[in-house]
Amino acid sequence: MSGSYENQKNKWKQNVDKTLQKFPERKEPFETSSGIPVHRLYEPEKPEDGYLEKLGFPGAYPYTRGIQPTMYRSRHWTMRQYAGFGSAKETNERFRYLLDQGQTGLSVAFDLPTQIGYDSDDPMAEGEVGKVGVAIDSLEDMEQLFAEIPLNKVSTSMTINAPASILLAMYIAVGEKQGVAKEKLTGTIQNDILKEYIARGTYIYPPESSMRIITDIFSYCQENLPKFNTISISGYHIREAGATAVQEVAFTLANGMAYVDAALAAGLEIDQFAPRLAFFFNAHNQFFEEAAKYRAARRMWAKIMKEKYNAQDPKSWKMRFHTQTGGSTLTAQQPDNNIVRVTVQALAAIMGGTQSLHTNSKDEALALPTEDSARIALRTQQILAHESGVTETVDPLAGSYFVESLTDEIEKKANEYIKRIDEFGGAVKAVEAGYMQREIHQTAYETQKDIEKGEDVIVGVNEFTIDEEVEPELLRVDEKLEKNQVEATQRIRENRDADAVTDSLKKLREAAVNNENLMPFIVEAVKVYATVGEIANVLRDEFGEYTAM
Amino acid sequence: MEPIRVLIAKPGLDGHDRGALIIAQGLRDAGMEVIYTGLRQSPEQIAQAAIQEDVNVIGLSSLSGAHKTLFPKVVEALRANNAEDIPVIGGGVIPTEDIPYLEEKGVRKIFTSGTAMSDTATFIKQLVQGKETPPPNKISHIGIAVQHLEQAIPFYQHSLGLPLESVETVEEEKVKVAFFPIGDTRIELLEPMDEDSPIQKFIDKKGEGIHHIALDVDDIEKRISLFKEQGISMLNETPKQGAHDSRIAFLHPKAGQGVLYELCEEKQEG
Repeated sequence: MSGSYENQKNKWKQNVDKTLQKFPERKEPFETSSGIPVHRLYEPEKPEDGYLEKLGFPGAYPYTRGIQPTMYRSRHWTMRQYAGFGSAKETNERFRYLLDQGQTGLSVAFDLPTQIGYDSDDPMAEGEVGKVGVAIDSLEDMEQLFAEIPLNKVSTSMTINAPASILLAMYIAVGEKQGVAKEKLTGTIQNDILKEYIARGTYIYPPESSMRIITDIFSYCQENLPKFNTISISGYHIREAGATAVQEVAFTLANGMAYVDAALAAGLEIDQFAPRLAFFFNAHNQFFEEAAKYRAARRMWAKIMKEKYNAQDPKSWKMRFHTQTGGSTLTAQQPDNNIVRVTVQALAAIMGGTQSLHTNSKDEALALPTEDSARIALRTQQILAHESGVTETVDPLAGSYFVESLTDEIEKKANEYIKRIDEFGGAVKAVEAGYMQREIHQTAYETQKDIEKGEDVIVGVNEFTIDEEVEPELLRVDEKLEKNQVEATQRIRENRDADAVTDSLKKLREAAVNNENLMPFIVEAVKVYATVGEIANVLRDEFGEYTAM
Repeated sequence: MEPIRVLIAKPGLDGHDRGALIIAQGLRDAGMEVIYTGLRQSPEQIAQAAIQEDVNVIGLSSLSGAHKTLFPKVVEALRANNAEDIPVIGGGVIPTEDIPYLEEKGVRKIFTSGTAMSDTATFIKQLVQGKETPPPNKISHIGIAVQHLEQAIPFYQHSLGLPLESVETVEEEKVKVAFFPIGDTRIELLEPMDEDSPIQKFIDKKGEGIHHIALDVDDIEKRISLFKEQGISMLNETPKQGAHDSRIAFLHPKAGQGVLYELCEEKQEG
């Protein structure tokens, strides 16, 4: 990082030239409505001491100003709307609709039984099949989900954690059937179990075994799916559970370090797996704090990777992240107001330099979004991208006294939490002790009290209320779906090669006992149509189940 | 009084327990004893926990859309264990249009997002106390405002053939009243004694006709305090003397869509 300001600037310029060859800028020149030219980058007239250490140039350490040298002047973020409900067939239709509408990546929501490793006909699944996402039991469901969607043309993000290895194995198998080699697959699995214990609840196994499954995936993907993001370390749900912006950053990065530690302990090389780590943050309403949060998180991660873990490859230093606007900020009252909240939040994520974005639909506080409201949510991103002009210069908030001060403060306060977590012995131990859970709950409770006392104004809830009949058009999951899905899965069980299934599950069990990498065995099992529940149950037998205190 | 005991439960596979945890703490701060089940409870487990913990009420939370299946199953599980007297309430992400179905299946009340913790606490207190405060026994009487008793009495006495039970003066209300028993209840005719009588004001404004409906209750003080907790305003916050040595209190007519209700605790016989 040594070198003068001019040196660094020259490096950035070279970096820009290289980037432009691959990703030319969208316009030449960029200018305002009045014809004022908009430059690629605005800089201090006289850089202060420490400017390079704190901010530097975009695309260069510590990445405070963004991970690419030209940011959105070349390419917008990926507009990636989370979708999935009911059957694989219906979800497939919604995916193809969203791709037709200009969406650039897929994001799959799974139903709760799938996320917790139960088949649709398991008694635990009753009432939950297809409710919050698509039900996947066997490879057949996955084949339907991606029917007529070439996997070498889309990148797919899957919100799946405890059974991430199973769903990834199915994705590999679908690709194979389409003739797409696994080396070509791109996408992300969430695969972040620690935040499940902290905030989201779809854990299966105890932390230690879960961490082993995760490092197995890292290792397998390093060799077989080099373009796949093996984890999306998620602050989103931590924030939804009630955390502050600072807690979101701190707990997410602490979890990130725990995965790095686990991978290193499993014998992986830092620069082999670190470039495939991705992050996932929330966007709430306090615009400047949110924008500062992303900038602070990027700087912190770069420092952690370079200084603490001694990573050498700049790709290991770069924090790439997805953002979703804050579901918990939406109100059931006057739901149209939510469009405005989502716009402010999305703008903050863009100002913070996100790589991809999901904007919530206005009716998410009530039920699953309808096609109309999902379209408005996507249009919100498109308006910000194409009409607002905020994408035409890199990191436009840099140098604002307020934003830079907030960025520094968030870093400082988040580091205090990380220190506290280190005292527990790291994130896994802190989770087991319930530390993050308690901190988040305390914040959530205080927030609720402030709202009820009227100290925090929520428009349409505790101020500016109207008498209204809330009866928007809502998307319903057909009650027959559960029955159909159960029947389909039972049909699969009757028609598959039963011996091959038994054999593949036996081998998986042996691999679990013998501490071999589980991934190849899971891939073999899904190919012969072993179900999510059957595979998860083998591992339940071997690893046990986690219950919260 | 023993503190109210509440079981907060998460049925099904939903892992979002921010709301459940907040409401649990809010109810604790409101003086209740709260047991939280943790995630992934089956309806049967929830019913068993409620019985073992001897709770007064169960609060269910679901954000996954499984409420229509799972909430009624909790009610059924309670019934199967002869514990249907434990009321079930619920909250979470629940579309308004599902509420009638859930209520029909025996869920007592659904709180949707945006409900204040204090409202939930108040509702639970009423629900629990309400079980000890039975509904009104019957209509004690129907009060009819008349300008002159002697002009009105013949219709009731002769044309309808009702016996005239008594005529008396209630000085406090500046009215003269006549009672006709009819079945289990009575018709009360009220005649203003002077210009300041509330009955005279009623007649001036609305003309003669039905003035109020009186409900026969057992414990008028308790009933009044229950109404006050529900935010129902009372014209009389303490009972006053009524006819036949009864104790009475009027509700504000806006509580009953413009109907003036009177609570009436009759003098105990013997």
